[in-house]
Amino acid sequence: MIELPDLATGGLAVGMVSALALGAGLLRAQRQQARQRAEIAALRRQLDGAARGFTAEIEHLAARRIPAAAQQMTHSHVTVPGPLSPRIAESPLGPALEQVLNGMRVELAAQRTRIDAAAQAGMRGATREIQAALYRLQDALRGLQQKYDDPELTQTLFRLDHENEQSLRRAQVAAVVCGAWVGLAREESHLVDAVTGGQARLAGYHRIRIHNHLTAGTALVSHAVEPVAIIVAELLDNALRHSAPDTDVVVNLEHVHHGVCVTVDDAGLGMTQEERARAQRLVAGSEPILLTELGDPPRMGLAAIGQLTRQFDLGVDLSSPSPYGGVRAVLRVDSQLLSRIDPEERPPAASAARSTRPADRDDRASRKEGSGEAGTESPGASPTAHGYGAEHDDASDTASGHHAPPDTGGLPQRRRRPRPTATPATPAEPEPIPEDRRPERAAAALGALQAGTAAARSAADGGDVSIDALGAVSDGVRETDHTDHDHDHEGGTAR
Amino acid sequence: MTGRRGGRPLVPAYLSTGGVARPSRPQLERLSVLRSTGAPAPTGLPAAQLALLDALDDGSLTVVEAAALLRLPVSAVRVLAGELIDRDLAASRAPIPTADRFDPDLLKRVADGLRALKHPR
Repeated sequence: MIELPDLATGGLAVGMVSALALGAGLLRAQRQQARQRAEIAALRRQLDGAARGFTAEIEHLAARRIPAAAQQMTHSHVTVPGPLSPRIAESPLGPALEQVLNGMRVELAAQRTRIDAAAQAGMRGATREIQAALYRLQDALRGLQQKYDDPELTQTLFRLDHENEQSLRRAQVAAVVCGAWVGLAREESHLVDAVTGGQARLAGYHRIRIHNHLTAGTALVSHAVEPVAIIVAELLDNALRHSAPDTDVVVNLEHVHHGVCVTVDDAGLGMTQEERARAQRLVAGSEPILLTELGDPPRMGLAAIGQLTRQFDLGVDLSSPSPYGGVRAVLRVDSQLLSRIDPEERPPAASAARSTRPADRDDRASRKEGSGEAGTESPGASPTAHGYGAEHDDASDTASGHHAPPDTGGLPQRRRRPRPTATPATPAEPEPIPEDRRPERAAAALGALQAGTAAARSAADGGDVSIDALGAVSDGVRETDHTDHDHDHEGGTAR
Repeated sequence: MTGRRGGRPLVPAYLSTGGVARPSRPQLERLSVLRSTGAPAPTGLPAAQLALLDALDDGSLTVVEAAALLRLPVSAVRVLAGELIDRDLAASRAPIPTADRFDPDLLKRVADGLRALKHPR
């Protein structure tokens, strides 16, 4: 009987307990939800902040960092700003943005080289045409110089030739900088000729003093001639440009252990350490040349030297200051680029500086001494045997050699060679006169005439044409024939 | 001329005279004869003048011959020679004119004329 209410109360109790439990659970769930919601809100706020920060960072990258990085490639003094917030650099985003910059730098550099190469190709083509045209003009001008003697015309031709040389130099240097060939094949030439040729290409060539201390006949192999002339011209141009117009630029040509050195000294202001380092880097030719790096107007001289030193295994050094106060530039020509030309057979140009080398003096002196007895000593033999001092200069050299008797071997012989071809100009030796026009004959004829007329007159006077008179005519012929051998020809004709 | 170098000369002619083209002695002609006076060359004489003096070492040369030897235009050699003459290092002589032959007919007529003067009728 108890069962029913017990059951009911039991059930009720259970229901209560479970209801209570449910209620507590519900409450807990509600509280958790609220906490989660707050958390979500906080996270969302954080995300918003991060997205804004990211956007700002990208904007900063686009507006500031990329242009700065691009500028930095040409102007090294520009600094690339870092990310906006320093926290980014620590996050994975920082390196990713750096990668963007690096990728851009690589691509930009490649583009720049491509564009520069295209510009160089264009310029190469143009300068080659100009150079060829200027060579044709040079030929025409030199032809005119040979043809006409008028001083006024010659003065103009000289000026035009000089202007043309300067234009040629500019065109040639531009072509060389752009990677072109020097544009002219020369034959083996005296080194002093190449240096003098380089000197002639400059506006201020009057200020250049060349001292040639090389053995006579020191020459360059054919493919090195024009490059050496170009390098010397550019070094001299720098020296002239950076020194006062009333100072000299001194060039010395000397033998060194492995070849020949051409030293160019100017008395200018010299270069600062940085300029010197830059110049040395350019002339070393180790880096590829970009036109955009040469400035505006482009300074091509050193860049051209760099191209040539790399191609031809020549060495240029600008690192030491000159004792004159300015810059000392040294061009080293290795012995593999040197050769020898017989200076007797093919002397250097008349305007090229004489060698001050004892060997040269020695030749002349030995010829002078030997002319009396032997006179056949071969030039160039034992160049250092005689103890001539090195302090002699070229003028005293020629002064001593100047009195060399004319009947010596070697050089004078070569010089005398063309003379027979020019004899029509100087009729030193009279041509043999044809027999019927010899003065004796003329005198005899006149004598006979005189005798004949005298005989005729006497016949007219006296009336008889005697055998004597006729005999006198023939005697006159014989007599004049005979006596005129003692007189000179002019006397004979004048009679 | 034999032995002449082919190709383009490296050193232009204006360098020999320092760009001067007007000779100090305008009377120098292509065939004027130059000879050295034998005076010692002073120091600092330009290379081209020395070269010309050397060429005159062996005896007289006409201007045009010296030009051919030095491979310079005649106009440049005239300037160089003028400078050498100014310095008394060289001397010049007017060109030797080509001798004309006398016309025998003319001589006969002159002789007749003289004789006619000597023996007037």
